[in-house]
Amino acid sequence: MTMNIGGSVEKKDHAQKMSGKALYVGDYPLEGVLYGKLLHSSKARARIAEIRLPEIPEGYFVVDKNDVPGDNNVNIVKDDTPVFARETVEYIGDPILMVVGPDEAETERLLKAIEVVYEELPAVLNVRDFDTVFFEYDFGKGDIEKAFAEADKVYTEQFETGYQEQAYLETQGMIGEPQPDKMTVHGSMQCPYYVKGAVVRAMGSSPEGVQIKQDTTGGGFGGKEAFPSILACQVAVAAKKAGKPVRVIFDRREDMEFTSKRHPSLCTYKVAVKDGKITAMDIDVIFNGGAYTTLSAVVLQRGIICSSGVYKVDNLRVKGRAVKTNLVPSGAYRGFGAPQTFFAVEMIMDHIAFDLGLDPMQFKLDNAVKQGDATSTSGIYHFPVPLPEMVEKIDAASGYREKRLEYAIAQTGRYRRGVGSSMFFHGAGFTGSGERDHIKAVSKLHKYPDGSVEILVSNSDIGQGLKTTFSKIVAHELNLPYEKIIIENPDTDRVPDSGPTVASRSLMTVGELLRRAAIKLRESWVDGEDQIVEERFKEPDFLIPFYIDKFQGDAYPTYAWGVNVIEVEVDTLTGVSKILGAWGCFDVGTPVDLNVVLGQMEGGYLQGIGYASIEQMAADEKGRIRNNSFSDYIIPTSMDVPKLEVIMHVEKYPDGPYGAKGAGELPLVGAPGAYIGAMEQALRKPINKAPFSMDDTMKVLQGVKL
Amino acid sequence: MVEYYQPTSLQEALKIRSENKVTPYAGGTDLMIEADENLCYLFLNKVCEMRGIYEDAEYIRIGAACTYEKILQSELVPQILKDAVSQIAAPAIRNLGTMGGNIGNGSAKADSALVCFALDAKLQLSSVSGSRLVDIDKFYLGRKKLDMAENELITEILIPKADFGRYSYFKVGARNALAISRVSFAGVLSLKDGRISNIACAFGAVADTVLRFKDLEKMFLGKTLAEASAIKQDFVSAYSQSIVPIRGRVSMEYRKAVCMNLLNEFLSQSDI
Repeated sequence: MTMNIGGSVEKKDHAQKMSGKALYVGDYPLEGVLYGKLLHSSKARARIAEIRLPEIPEGYFVVDKNDVPGDNNVNIVKDDTPVFARETVEYIGDPILMVVGPDEAETERLLKAIEVVYEELPAVLNVRDFDTVFFEYDFGKGDIEKAFAEADKVYTEQFETGYQEQAYLETQGMIGEPQPDKMTVHGSMQCPYYVKGAVVRAMGSSPEGVQIKQDTTGGGFGGKEAFPSILACQVAVAAKKAGKPVRVIFDRREDMEFTSKRHPSLCTYKVAVKDGKITAMDIDVIFNGGAYTTLSAVVLQRGIICSSGVYKVDNLRVKGRAVKTNLVPSGAYRGFGAPQTFFAVEMIMDHIAFDLGLDPMQFKLDNAVKQGDATSTSGIYHFPVPLPEMVEKIDAASGYREKRLEYAIAQTGRYRRGVGSSMFFHGAGFTGSGERDHIKAVSKLHKYPDGSVEILVSNSDIGQGLKTTFSKIVAHELNLPYEKIIIENPDTDRVPDSGPTVASRSLMTVGELLRRAAIKLRESWVDGEDQIVEERFKEPDFLIPFYIDKFQGDAYPTYAWGVNVIEVEVDTLTGVSKILGAWGCFDVGTPVDLNVVLGQMEGGYLQGIGYASIEQMAADEKGRIRNNSFSDYIIPTSMDVPKLEVIMHVEKYPDGPYGAKGAGELPLVGAPGAYIGAMEQALRKPINKAPFSMDDTMKVLQGVKL
Repeated sequence: MVEYYQPTSLQEALKIRSENKVTPYAGGTDLMIEADENLCYLFLNKVCEMRGIYEDAEYIRIGAACTYEKILQSELVPQILKDAVSQIAAPAIRNLGTMGGNIGNGSAKADSALVCFALDAKLQLSSVSGSRLVDIDKFYLGRKKLDMAENELITEILIPKADFGRYSYFKVGARNALAISRVSFAGVLSLKDGRISNIACAFGAVADTVLRFKDLEKMFLGKTLAEASAIKQDFVSAYSQSIVPIRGRVSMEYRKAVCMNLLNEFLSQSDI
């Protein structure tokens, strides 16, 4: 038991992946497997008047809504996402039907020969023109009218953020395999039991009639939280009709154009300041949900809960809406609604500090919450808030304070510098009472007579290292060699439902269940016997119950904290900004494997920098996303942020394994605020949107109003 | 399975080219993105005559199938071309990509082609019936339109042996590696007896072909730097009128602004 839990080991799936033995969905033998290709709507909104099919040869099938044996609604949060399009299509990409057949080229030929007669309907393509509100929430506290009336100054601004594509290395892919007594679906996914729930419903089957297996998955970042449920239903329906296995693997263009991405946002902030302190915020958040609701409700919930940032705001009013547009449904992406609102709140704090002649980092720190303070939803920050210590650490590493002063002096010459900062948190785990009321996670350990122990959970290793960290925890508690721990890709016929792989919950919540299960097993260990122990989720006692109808109580048991500093140099001739340095101080509690955590922090931070700077994606006037390849959708390379420094701070969480908290999403959340803050200092102009491109920079340099 | 030929001599390559409908493949870093199994490819990477870099009395001669990496290592290649080549894509692509491929692809965004415009390079085009030299700016007829016959291959790029004097190369890409140019600029200026004997300003990635305005350059030819400085405003406004960018991944306005900024910067650096 003396092993340091943070010490790094060879990743559990290292050998399999390095040797090429790991099977991704695209690696399965093709013999006897039919190719499935989806016909996507080419109109943003239309009634399907007629579908003219070519002659379909024997052995080929056309699969549509009429073939769905159960319910043509995909089980996500609500019931509006169809397995196959209904009478109307609601966005460019809406899946109308699938052509299935043994020869790929012929399947493709048939698909192209299909003629769809559309009767076009008016479409909403700009979020500002919305007429349908999917979800609307309001909450608040204190006396906001009084605070605004008594304020020294009131600031009102609007902020906008764009799409962000997950850009996982492996595109979406799924295989449906009909068995005599059930339907098996396997593929690339984060949440096998979400997929199972959806397929059971679409197939009108019993839970026993559906088996879901995760294949080795090449990245998810949230993009494989809900979308795989849709694709799994489609392949299951097709496989059922064809009576043979059917595989659909998206090409990159299809994946980029037609699968979910981060919600674009429009946030309006009205902030009251009195005696140099923030006294009230009135916040209006609009998320562009796209054509169907998918995960918008929960993304919006997290977004608005985070909308007052790390600040103590006694008088608060928050209104959040997820609205419908005829664009690809938005969905989960690392940070889950929080990067949008954290960007907005960090920018308005920067702008207020600038107006008051204060250093933004100090101003933010002076207004930040402390242990025992109330959260936005009148819960409590139960544990220490380490922001002051983290600020000192990051200042020492980055030289922020000195640079901020230096760059404030008028700059001349071709290159201008700026340095920006942000403070943020990630509410660790599911929002509100989701764990207790909906997920009810169960984890199991199976000890075999030879003394090896298998971990049975439904969480998936999507590259973030769960197989490694889970195994370390169990090995640690059982005092077993790491090699004696077995963990396979989850198969719903073998593993209990320990919940989805989302919300940075797996390690903190399921890892803790495994730790407790391991203790239980240790205490009942009998050599040579086959033993199974089970552990179920229990909500920590200290929590103030959360009521989603009122947005009141502890939305999260604890928080992972972050402070970012980014330094840029803008070329005034080209508008190109170069990142001179990016520093991130992150507190995710105890790192269970430091290498894994550093990888998460560096990767997530870089993703956040991409989001703020070069990752541009927009729908055109017809509602089509044109940035559908890696030459049109630019993500950062290692050459773009050569100096990226991660500093860990550890504030242990007593209910996480060894003090660990949620880690995966945190590093993305604060990057836009720090990057844009730096750009503002270099350009000496307030900026209210992200991403901020070289084109935008050039407009500022030329004095064009954005 | 894709059909292909892989000749090892130029004679063989030209014969195949004349007798078959083939797509010349010199590195393939553009072609493989849109690989088409219905095409027949003519792989040129093993054609010895197209892989060398050497000089004769008048030119530095770069084989069209010579990789970027080899160009970077050559002592004969002028620095401005190396500056451009070193910013193309990433090492893996520079190990495969070639100037022949870059030019033959016909894009105005081809970074090595831009430098060829600024240096008055010529292309050697060969076929079974002989060879001809074409000025680089005559080779590009329009967007993806080239002065190249069905039976011809680009075999060599000829760069005049000259003192290019002061030069400037600047590429604006979407990021620091693996980036297609959004605007690029190459300028050279040399003096003889205190007078401007050669000037070239070429703009890439802003229109259907690389832009170079020889008529405007004449304003400066034969002038001293002081004389050139005196008419700098006229020179710059003439460019401002002539450069009409097209909209692409960045706006027309952005392209225009950057072209003018880079031109001004080049002139300032040249003491004009």
